[in-house]
This record gives sequence, structure tokens and C-alpha cells, in this order.
Amino acid sequence: MLGFSQRSLANLLFWVTQKKWFLISLLVGTALFLLPTPNGLTLEGYRIIIIVITALMMIITEPIPLPAIAIYILVMEVFLGIGSPEEISHSFMNDAVFFIMGSLMLAVAIVQQGWDKRIALGIIRLTGNKTNNIVFGFTAISAILSSFIGEHTVAALMLPIAMTLIKYTSKDSEKVTGLSAVLLFAIAYGALIGSIGTPSGGGRNVIMMAYLKDHGLSISYLGWMMKVYPLVLILIPIVSWILQKSIVPEYLRLDTGVRKLVVQVSKLPELTGRNTIAVFIFFLVFLGWVFLSESLGLGTIALSGVLLYLIAGFVKWEDLSRNTHWGVIILFGATISLGANIKNTGAALWLANQVINVFGSIMDIFPFATDTIIVIMTTILANVLSSSATVAVLGPITLNLGSDALHLGMVTAIASAFGFFTAVAAPACTIVYSSGLVNAKDFLKAGWKVGVVSIIIVILYANTFWSIFF
Amino acid sequence: MKFLIAVGSKEFSEPTLRVGLQVAKAFKAAVTIVYAGPKISEFSTSQVRFTQERMEEWEFDRPGVEVLEWAFNFLAENDYITPTSIEAGFPKNTLVQTGGNRCEVYLQGTICKDVNLILRNGDIIAELRDEVRRGGYDVTIIGGSQKRRMAHDLIQYINSSIFVVNKYDQHQDYNLLLPVDDSTHTPKAVQYGARVAQAFDVKVNLITVSKTDSFGEGYTKASQLASKMMRRAGIAHEHRFETGDPVDVIKKTAGDNHIVVMGASTKNPLFKFFTGSKPLKVMEDCLCPILIVK
Repeated sequence: MLGFSQRSLANLLFWVTQKKWFLISLLVGTALFLLPTPNGLTLEGYRIIIIVITALMMIITEPIPLPAIAIYILVMEVFLGIGSPEEISHSFMNDAVFFIMGSLMLAVAIVQQGWDKRIALGIIRLTGNKTNNIVFGFTAISAILSSFIGEHTVAALMLPIAMTLIKYTSKDSEKVTGLSAVLLFAIAYGALIGSIGTPSGGGRNVIMMAYLKDHGLSISYLGWMMKVYPLVLILIPIVSWILQKSIVPEYLRLDTGVRKLVVQVSKLPELTGRNTIAVFIFFLVFLGWVFLSESLGLGTIALSGVLLYLIAGFVKWEDLSRNTHWGVIILFGATISLGANIKNTGAALWLANQVINVFGSIMDIFPFATDTIIVIMTTILANVLSSSATVAVLGPITLNLGSDALHLGMVTAIASAFGFFTAVAAPACTIVYSSGLVNAKDFLKAGWKVGVVSIIIVILYANTFWSIFF
Repeated sequence: MKFLIAVGSKEFSEPTLRVGLQVAKAFKAAVTIVYAGPKISEFSTSQVRFTQERMEEWEFDRPGVEVLEWAFNFLAENDYITPTSIEAGFPKNTLVQTGGNRCEVYLQGTICKDVNLILRNGDIIAELRDEVRRGGYDVTIIGGSQKRRMAHDLIQYINSSIFVVNKYDQHQDYNLLLPVDDSTHTPKAVQYGARVAQAFDVKVNLITVSKTDSFGEGYTKASQLASKMMRRAGIAHEHRFETGDPVDVIKKTAGDNHIVVMGASTKNPLFKFFTGSKPLKVMEDCLCPILIVK
């Protein structure tokens, strides 16, 4: 047919089936492009919405590599006249991108210091051998650590500890499915709820801080912590309790696993000066975030820490480069560019007005309706998309849904961490899923209760605690 | 010849491995066993890889290694690898990274020189297709799947013969069902069928199905050639001529006690995509193992 051999036709069909979501995205984009611009929306605003819709479809279904989606966004923004090439390239880079880059590199540097085995010993000393206590310990430690060093770092540190307890409790993984699920979800969900506690808990928080700054609002590192950390402390026991009630572990005590873990850790050499300096460098980074982030930016401080680790020789550039997904960083830059242009073209305001037109009467009657709409919308998108990309795209819209942009922005940032429902929602979830000890369906089974309760608590918290104290 | 056997888990892949190795032995083929794990979202690939490296420092294997270890033990128990390889044990330390999502380990085989074990992650069809293209395999062997689309994709996109070990019970007696017509793949299917029949020491039921009462010259010649080949190979066989819809007749005759060997369709891939083909329809509904020869 048309000079094509059977093999090349089969290859073409295979390409079409593999790239079907890319082709569907393009078709949807073309159809929208041919429709008239909606009333009240600028031509550029309409075109950026088309790019957002098609790009989100591609990010969710991943028919082409993520860096290719970033390039698609860049090219389309220029081709469709959203801005000049200079404006678009500038919109790709800001402090949030530096922060995401820095936190991914810090994760590699921190994990290579071997802190995981010392953390393991710390948890066991605190919790003892009872499974329930260990689950609480895992949730609490994961949450507290992820507030400062990022959820993916915590998951990478904690997973081997959980695996030791699981594998040495029973060699047959079929006999410890409940134990595996409860420990691994304690890590993933603990890391997720902890990541809301400080701006450095996740790139999404930094992106939201940048948007708030554009609105003429600023919040300091300590200011964020004071507003949100009590929520983390409320969620830790609740999430731990829900997990223990939803998943029944096969063993109530983990004597063998704990004994083996202690033996593993006891083989470690004593703390060296090098270990102390590594901790000290991270402490300097933390102090920098607390006291200097408003003037220097969280990203620059994170990268300063990476620089110190490199100068001190605690990590090799080859390791940093190999374990940092540069394509993902470029994609975050692209989604931040989308967010900036949604705002600049007036599309954010128009979309916010559409939401108000649809839900306005409910928003007027029920006091928490706006927060509820934001939290549900953000949670749904964060479970199919990356949380940072969710905030980058939704942030400019939710900030226009009411008069208190700081309140709305922080609610959006918090809800974007509620990726409890799917294995792809957050790196912490994907990391525990990659252990092979839990399957994708388990996330929905365990996650829906944690998700619903977290949504209710955050809405009540934001409308009571913040109203009373701030 | 080169055979690729895809395994998924210890629980469900034992028949696939058993049958696959038995057939490979008959063909004296080089064997590669591949495990394809789930696809990881690109957002987290570097972090997952990094975590898995940490896990190895804690002496934990990455997911999938235990399946390859089980395959190694199966090979050892059935003497498919040399005593030296068996004595050395499963060489997980020599699992070489040969691509972003592919690891490989080499073993010394007894039936043929090379036996490879491969670990991959990603979409099963894309991974198998890539592996077949990379290794130039003649036959890909895979277990039955609940997903109807899987059968279609395997036949359509993988450039080798496909053996689907569907609902195989090692305690049941099987015969071999070999549909014969005038299509270009039939002679090769007859050759493969003869080898499989010898491997399992079973009788061959040759069947020629026509939609009308008359059987054309092509059909007659093909059936005569098939009978001749079976006779020369010393394989017990009988030949039946049936009238009706070929797919229905083949499915009904196959039941659950035949291994079906048939040639792939020569229809244009575009037509096959939209309208299907005889082998595809048989594969989708039949209750027994089926080898589609390309």
C-alpha cells in the first residue's frame, strides 16, 4: 500500500498505538484552536489554555518523554504568540526551578552519607518491637524528616529500613502482605503529610511562594511553619491510626526483624568527623532557609548546600548528574512558564471567574465552599499529575477565587500533597511501589480514607486555626 | 534458532517456562528468559533507580530478580544449564545493566551454548518488541493473558512467531492441531508443528477448512504436502476436511486438549488492525496453547 511494506505498516501502527494520547492531545488542541475565542478572554489567554490542556493530557499519559513535553510547551508558546522567544525563555527559570534542582541533588548527597542506618536505630529505640508503635514511628519520622529534606529523600532513606523488618519477619512475601502495606504506606503517607510543613518540604511550596510574591504577598520560612506545622502534628497520629485500622498486619511484634535490623546497624563504624560535617552542612542550609530565604531565595540556598557538599568531596558530580533527572527539571520549568503565562494573558482571572460563575451561589451560602472546591480540585489533579505541576498550573487560578490570596494559595499548596490515591501521585508513592511489595490497587484501598479525612481536616483547620491565630 | 520466553511471576509462569523450554529443546534453540516489570512514571525514574541502588547496599534485590532466580533454579533442576553454572548458583552479582531499564545475566546452557536471563521494566508489548528486535528471536513464548488486546498486539507488533501457553495443564494429554490452507505461512507452520509434535510426542490432527463444499487446488496441494512431511518425520497423524467458518471449526476442534499450530495471517496490517484475522480470532477465544508461525 503506497509503497509501504507490511513490516513498515506494522511499525507505523505500533507507533500510532504507543503515541495515541499524543495524537489525541493534538486533535483536541486543533479542535479547540478552530473554535472561536470565548467571550471575555483574550486571544493569547485562549491559546495558553489550549496549550495547558494538551500539555496536561500528555503529562498524565506520558506518550512522549517528559523533556519533549517541555519542549512542546516552549515551542507552542512562541509559535502561538503567547510571548516573544526572550519572554518565554525567561519564564522557564526562577528560584523554584533552582530549588527543585537543588533539592534533587541534596537528596543524592544526603542519602549517600549513610544516615539511613542511624535513623533505623533511632526509630527502633523509640518504638520498641510492637508493630503498632513501629507504624506510628515510621509515620512520624517520615513526616518530620520530609518537612526539611523532601519526601523523595525520606522514602529513599526509609524504604531499606522497612524492607529489613519485612524480609526478616517472613521470607515469603505472601505471608506479610499486610505488614508490608502498613509499613510502606506509613513511609509514603508520612512523607507526604510532612512535606506540607515547611516551604522546603516540596517544590510545590516554593512555586506557590513565588506566585504569592507576584501578588505582592510574602510569607517567610518560619511564618509558613507556624501556620502549617500544627497541621502536620495533627495529621501524624490520625494517618497512623487510619492505616492501622485499615490494614491488618500479620504480626503484632517484629522481634526477628528488629533484631536483624539492630545487627545490621551495629556493623556500622562509629560516627566520623566527615559524618558530622555532612550533618553540619545540611544544618547550615536549613538555617539559610529559615533566615535568608526571603533575600536569597530557597533555591539558591539549596544549591549553596550542594556546592558545599561538592567542595568537601562528600558527593561526586557524576553521582549527582546520574541521579538527577534533568528532563523533569526542564518540565517543571515549562509548567512554571505555563503558570506565569496563564496569569499574564488574563486566562487565570477568566478561569477563576468561570469557577465563580458555576459555584458562586454555593460559595456565598457555605462558608468553606471555596476551600472545599480548591482542595478537591487540587487533590484530584495532584493524583494524576505531579504535585509541583499541579500547583504551577492551578495556582494562578485559585489565587483569584477570593479576596484572601494568601489563604487560598496555602490551601492549594497543602492539598497538592494529598497524593494518597495512586502510585504515580508522588515520588514517595512511586518509590514504595517500586519495592514490588504493594500493588497499584492498594494505594486506592488504603489511601481513600486517609485522603478524605485529610481533606476535611485541612478545610476545618484553615478556617478555624488560621482565623483565630493569624 | 533463538527463543524468547517471557515470564511474569513464579505463581503463574511455571507452565510457560516448562512448555517453552520443552519446545526450545526440540528446536535445539538458544533460550533467553525475560521478566518485564511494571512501568515506572518518568517523573520518578531517577529517584527509583537511586533507591534501588541503596537497597542493593542493604543486600536487597531489585524487584524481578527473585523471578529470575526462580527461573535459574528451574533451569538447574531440569538440567538446561551446565553443572558448573549450577554449582556457582544464581549469579546476581553479574547482572549487567545493558540499557536504562534492562539488565542481563549470561549462563552456560546444555541444550545450546547460551542461556540468558533478562530483567526489564516498562510496557510489556514495547519491551518484548524491543527485545525481539535486539536479539533477532524466531519465537516468543508467553503465558495467556486476560486482556484480549494483548493477543492482538503480540501478533501484530512482535516480529517473531508467537507461542501463547494458554491454560496448559501438564497432567493432561494433548494432541497437536495443525490447520492447513494455501496461505504462505502454512509450510513453515507445518515444519514447526512437526518439531513441536516430536517434542511432546503427540499425534497431529491436520485440518483443512473451507467455507464452501469444494476444496480448491491450493488447499489440496497444501494438505498433501503436510501429510507427506508428517509421514516422513514418522509422526502419527490424520487429516480431516471440514466445511464451515474456519475460526469456529478450529476453536471447536481444538477444545482444551490440543496445542494449535497455525500460520500467521498475510493480510495487510491495516486491515488486520480494524477487522482482525483468523489466527487472532482463534487465539483470543481458544482454551489451549497456540503457536502462530510467522
